Amino acid sequence: MTGAGLLLRFDLRRDRAKLPWWIFGTALLFLIQSTQSQNMYGDPRELAGLRETIGANTAVVAMSGPAQLLETIGGEVVFEIFGFAAIVVALMNMFLVGRYTRGDEETGRAELVLAARVGRRAPVGAALLLALLADVVTGALVFAVLAGTGLPVGGSLLVAAAITGLGLLFAALTALAAQVFEHARAVYGAVGLFLGAAWTARAAGDAADSGLVWVSPIGWGQRTLPYVADRWWPVLLLLVTAVLLVVAALALLDRRDLGDGLVRSRPGRPYASRALGSATGLAWRLQRGSLAGWVVGVALLGVAYGSIGDSIEQFVADNPEVTAYLPGGADRIVDAYLALTVTVGALLAAAFGVSAALRARAEETSGRAEPILATTTSRTAWLGSHLTVALAGSGLVLLAAGLGEGLAYGLTVGDPGQAFRMAGAALVYLPAVWAVVAVAVLGIGWAARAAAVAGWTALGYCAVVELFADSFDLPGWVQRASPFVHLPEAPLEAVTAPPLLIVTAVAAALTLAGLAGFRRRDVGY
Amino acid sequence: MAAISISGLVKRFGRTTALDGLDLTVGEGEVHGFLGPNGSGKTTTIRVLLGLLRSDAGSVRLLGGDPWKDAVALHGRLAYVPGDVTLWPGITGGEVIDLLGRLRGERHRARRDELLDRFDLDPSKKARAYSKGNRQKVALVAALASDAELLLLDEPTSGLDPLMEAEFQRCVRRVREEGRTILLSSHILAEVEALCDRVSIVRLGRTVESGTLAELRHLTRTSISVETVRPITGLSGVHDAVVDDRHARFDVDDTQLEPVMRQLAALGVRSLTSTPPTLEEMFLRHYGPGNGAADGTGNGDGR
Repeated sequence: MTGAGLLLRFDLRRDRAKLPWWIFGTALLFLIQSTQSQNMYGDPRELAGLRETIGANTAVVAMSGPAQLLETIGGEVVFEIFGFAAIVVALMNMFLVGRYTRGDEETGRAELVLAARVGRRAPVGAALLLALLADVVTGALVFAVLAGTGLPVGGSLLVAAAITGLGLLFAALTALAAQVFEHARAVYGAVGLFLGAAWTARAAGDAADSGLVWVSPIGWGQRTLPYVADRWWPVLLLLVTAVLLVVAALALLDRRDLGDGLVRSRPGRPYASRALGSATGLAWRLQRGSLAGWVVGVALLGVAYGSIGDSIEQFVADNPEVTAYLPGGADRIVDAYLALTVTVGALLAAAFGVSAALRARAEETSGRAEPILATTTSRTAWLGSHLTVALAGSGLVLLAAGLGEGLAYGLTVGDPGQAFRMAGAALVYLPAVWAVVAVAVLGIGWAARAAAVAGWTALGYCAVVELFADSFDLPGWVQRASPFVHLPEAPLEAVTAPPLLIVTAVAAALTLAGLAGFRRRDVGY
Repeated sequence: MAAISISGLVKRFGRTTALDGLDLTVGEGEVHGFLGPNGSGKTTTIRVLLGLLRSDAGSVRLLGGDPWKDAVALHGRLAYVPGDVTLWPGITGGEVIDLLGRLRGERHRARRDELLDRFDLDPSKKARAYSKGNRQKVALVAALASDAELLLLDEPTSGLDPLMEAEFQRCVRRVREEGRTILLSSHILAEVEALCDRVSIVRLGRTVESGTLAELRHLTRTSISVETVRPITGLSGVHDAVVDDRHARFDVDDTQLEPVMRQLAALGVRSLTSTPPTLEEMFLRHYGPGNGAADGTGNGDGR
C-alpha cells in the first residue's frame, strides 16, 4: 500500500471536476424529491389516497420499490427516489474505481506509477479510498438534505447509510471486475450488467412480493425501510459484502501480472464486414451501442410513465396542485399527462441527438477524423455520417419513448391501439428535437470549440421552458425561443402540418449552415 | 511536372506562425526526405497538403491540383500515414485497414495480407490492445496496400523496431521502383540517407536547405584522418585540427579540399581516410548549439 496516500491526493486532483457533479447531483435528487413529496402528500389523507392508487399498481411498484414504504411521508420519498439514486451512486463508484484501476492499467499510466516506490496494491487502495470518501460525503449530504427538509433524523441517517453502503459495494465490485477483465470497457460492461440485473431482480421481486429482492443489493438498500421500520441490518449486509469483494479483488491482484486479466478479450474480425465500408458505416458502428442504450432506457421510462397513466385521473383529483404542471389544465387530464411525459421523452431524444452530433467533434479532436478525411470522403460526407446517426437515431429514441408509453398505458386500459397513437404523438415532436441537434451542428461548423456548450445549452434551455414555463410564469418571448413551444402538444392538441414544416425548415437551415461552416474551416482544432 | 510544389506557404494559428514562407518541391517518382525538429512545421505542411488546413498565403499545388478545392479528387490519388496514429478502440486493425481501403475505393486483399505478414501484425486484435508501434503498422499497411501515386508519410517508423524498419525500407524501395512518389517526414536520419533522393530541411516554418544529399554535402565539411611520411607542420585551410607528429585529424571545407590535399601530398601521404559528412552532422549544423534553435521546440506545437 506504499504511496496510496499520495495517489489518493493525485486521484482527487484528477477527479476534481467530475466527482462534485455526481455527489451534488445525488443530493439534489433527494432534495427535490423530499420537498416535492412533502408539498404534495404532506397531509396524511393525501398519503393514504396515494397508497390506494399507486400502492396497488404493480407497474409503479416495479418501477419504484416496496409499497410498505408508503406508510409515512419519509418512506414515500424513499419509495420514489431511492432506486434511481442507487443507480446514480453505483455508476459514480463504477466509473471512479474503474478509471483509476483498469483504466490506468490499460493506458499504461499504471506502469509509470508502479515503477516508482509504490506498492502493487496502492492504485486499487487509492481508488477505493477515494470511493469511500466520495460515498461518505454523498451520504452526509443526503442526510443533511433529508433531515434539513424536516424528515426524522433517525430515518434520514439510515437512508444516508444505505446509499453509502450501496456505493461502497459497487466500488468493491468494480475493483474485483478490474482484476478479472483486461479492458476498462469490459469492466464497465460487467458492472453495468450486474447493476441492470440487480435492478431487474428488485423490480420483479417487489412486483411479485417475493424473496427475489434479496438477490439484489438495491433491494437490500430499500428493505432498510427507512422512516417506516428503520432496519439497520441490511446496511451491515452491504458493508460485509463490500469487504468480501475487496478481499477477493486483492487476492486476485496479488496473483496476476500487470495488464493481465482472468478473462482474455476475444479477438475481433480480421476483415471488415460489408457494413463497415463507408463513413456512415463507421459512424453507425461507433454509435450503435450508445443508441441501443438510449432506446432501451427511454423506452423503459416511457413504460414507467405509461403504466401510471390510468391512475392519473384519480391521482389528480386527490392532488389538485399537480394540474399546474399539466398543459391544458384538469379537463383532459390523461392526454395532458401523456403530452407532458412524451415531451420528456422528446427532450431525452434531443439529448441523444446532441451527444451523437458532438461525437463528430470528439472524433475530430482525437485525430481519428484525419485518416478518414484523407480519403475520398468529403467533409460533408464525413460530418453527414455522424449527423445521419444523430438525426435518425434521435427519431428512433423518440419513437421508443412513444411506443413504450403507449404500450404500457394501452395494456392498463385494455386498448393496445394506444401504442400506435402514442408513437405517432411522439413523432410530432421530432422537428423540435432536430432543431436542438441543429444548434450543435451549427456550433461544429462555425464555433467548433463552443459546439458542446452550444448544443447542451440549447437542450437545457428547451427543458427549462418545457417543464417549468407554466409554473415559473416565464415571459412569452423566452418561451417562443424554444422550438417545442411552436409544436402542437400531441396527443392533447390537434396536429396541423404548418408548425411542423416550419420548425423542420428551421432545423434544416441551421444544419445546412453548420455543414457549410465545416467546409470552410481548418480541421483538427 | 512536380508532384508537390509549395512556395511561400504561410499558416498562422491565432498569434503563432506555424509556417513562415515554406518552400518545398517534390518531383514525380522521387522519395523526398522532409526533415526538421519537432514543431518546425512538417506536420502542418502535410495537413495543408491534405486540405485539412487552409493556407494563409503562398501557393500550393499537389498532383496538379489545389489541395483545398480539389481535396476529394486528390485524395483518391494519395495515401497518408499520420504521425500520431489514433484508432477506434473497439475496432480491429484488419477492419481499419479494410475501411480505409474502401473509403479510397480500393480493395487489394492479397497485397494487404502479404503486408500484414511482412509486418507481423495480428489483424484480429482490437485497436485498444495495440502498442504504439502496432498502431503505426496498421496505418502503414493501409497506405502501402494502396495504388496511390503519392504517399505522404509523417514519421511513419518512429515506433517500429529495427526488423520492421528494414521491412519498411524494402517496401519504400518497391514503391519507388513502381515510379510512385513519397514524401517522407522523418527523424531517423539513417533512414532518410538510405531511402531519399532529395531532402528538404525546415526550421521554424521555413525551408533552410533543399537538394540531393550530394548537393547538401557539398556545402559542408569532410573529416580527414591522415598519416604522413614527414612530420606535419603549418597546415592551412583546415578546422578543428588535432596534429600529433605524423598523424593528424581535421575537418576541411569542400571548397578547400584541393589546396589542403596539395599540402598533404608534399608531406608524403602514408594513409588517408576521408569521411563525408553524415546527414546527422548536417542536421546538427542547422539545429545544433549556437544556431539558436538548439532546444528543438521551435515555435510551439507545430500542428
